[in-house]
Amino acid sequence: MNIYIQGTGCVSPQETAQGGTFPENVLPWEGARLKANEPDYKQWIDVKLIRRMSRVIKMGVAAAQLSLQEAGIQKPDAIITGTAYGCLDDTGVFLSKMINQQEEMLTPTAFIQSTHNTVAGQIALMLGCHGYNNTFVHKGFSFESALLDALMILKEGRSKSILTGAMDELTNHSFNILSRFDLYKKEPVTPASLLHSQTAGTVAGEGAACFVLGTEKGANTRAKLTGVTTLYKPAGKAEIAADIAAFLAAHNCSEDEVSLLINGRNGDTSGDEWYEHMEDNALAGKPVACFKHLCGEYPTAASFGMWLGAKAIAEQQVAAAAMYRGTTPTKIKKVLIYNHYKQTHHSLILLTAC
Amino acid sequence: MAALKAQIVEQLNLQEVKPEEIGDDQPLFKDGLGLDSIDALEIIVLLQQQYGIRIANPEQGPEIFYSVRTIAAFITAHQTNK
Repeated sequence: MNIYIQGTGCVSPQETAQGGTFPENVLPWEGARLKANEPDYKQWIDVKLIRRMSRVIKMGVAAAQLSLQEAGIQKPDAIITGTAYGCLDDTGVFLSKMINQQEEMLTPTAFIQSTHNTVAGQIALMLGCHGYNNTFVHKGFSFESALLDALMILKEGRSKSILTGAMDELTNHSFNILSRFDLYKKEPVTPASLLHSQTAGTVAGEGAACFVLGTEKGANTRAKLTGVTTLYKPAGKAEIAADIAAFLAAHNCSEDEVSLLINGRNGDTSGDEWYEHMEDNALAGKPVACFKHLCGEYPTAASFGMWLGAKAIAEQQVAAAAMYRGTTPTKIKKVLIYNHYKQTHHSLILLTAC
Repeated sequence: MAALKAQIVEQLNLQEVKPEEIGDDQPLFKDGLGLDSIDALEIIVLLQQQYGIRIANPEQGPEIFYSVRTIAAFITAHQTNK
């Protein structure tokens, strides 16, 4: 059974929320933190609802609405999201009030909006969707787990269309805490220099990307989600190479057939060694595109990578800003997305043109 | 009442509403300002935080929270009774 990507939507540090083609220009950023370029949410969300929504909820709802618009679907059969941090900002507000007010007189809004499944719930409320609603919170596998769940439900025939996606926000508080773990660059970097920086650390990011997956081809369908797999703490690069070969074989795809490799290179030297090994061995000579200089690093960044892959297939071109190695393929038939989060959570996603 | 309106706007994060735009007798819920049950909880917390008032009988809620004037009257009466 084919699983089609009927629509996509993305809110990211780039101008992706305008819909349409991939933005031509990369928005400049400085420092080690990329903030989402947020659209005017009032085009999708009632002002009475916006006042209670933190940024991650708004980003998720906007990405969902964009994907539904592109798919031409008003109400999906199910909603499945993935998020590592959830509604971090409201969680911080609620916990701060608990401490400052000695657990007395706590306001309900921050508590209600602080759970990880708030985004999926809010989308369901807005759409009046009473179907299956689930949120996966599995750190670097949150998005992939949502995809796998959607794939299984569609293949079982329990749903015809599922809105699935991932979203994570970065707050001042979380950025400061994560910075203490030396995750981010200490020297100045730019979008152009990040992936060639040859130093430790990367840049922090955030965003939301949603996809309408379905068993039928829609008017705007250009790509199929052929396969997804996750690999936790592989023993070494040889194991990943073997897993990639097995993954492609399982989906009747030879290495020669892969038109474009999109990987999660983020400028951190030790983490990028995994991608270099793949580019030099298992998929040597393939054109390579990257995306974390566009969206930053976060646990569900693979969703931006999949959005980029779907765009590449739909437009049959890759934005110059995303190309890292080789020349842009003239025909993009199959796109393999390889990403890892902190070298522990590795995932592979295969997209095919249709 | 002006101070109470400003507190309501801030507590409920009514981004599109200015305190002076709320009428003294304008209904706060449903067709009036459009507040809902979560807002009612927020106003209960506001009364506790700002005025030290607890609503003993929840069934009085619709009557007390009808408008800014009714809330102000409730606050005044309660503070007078203290």
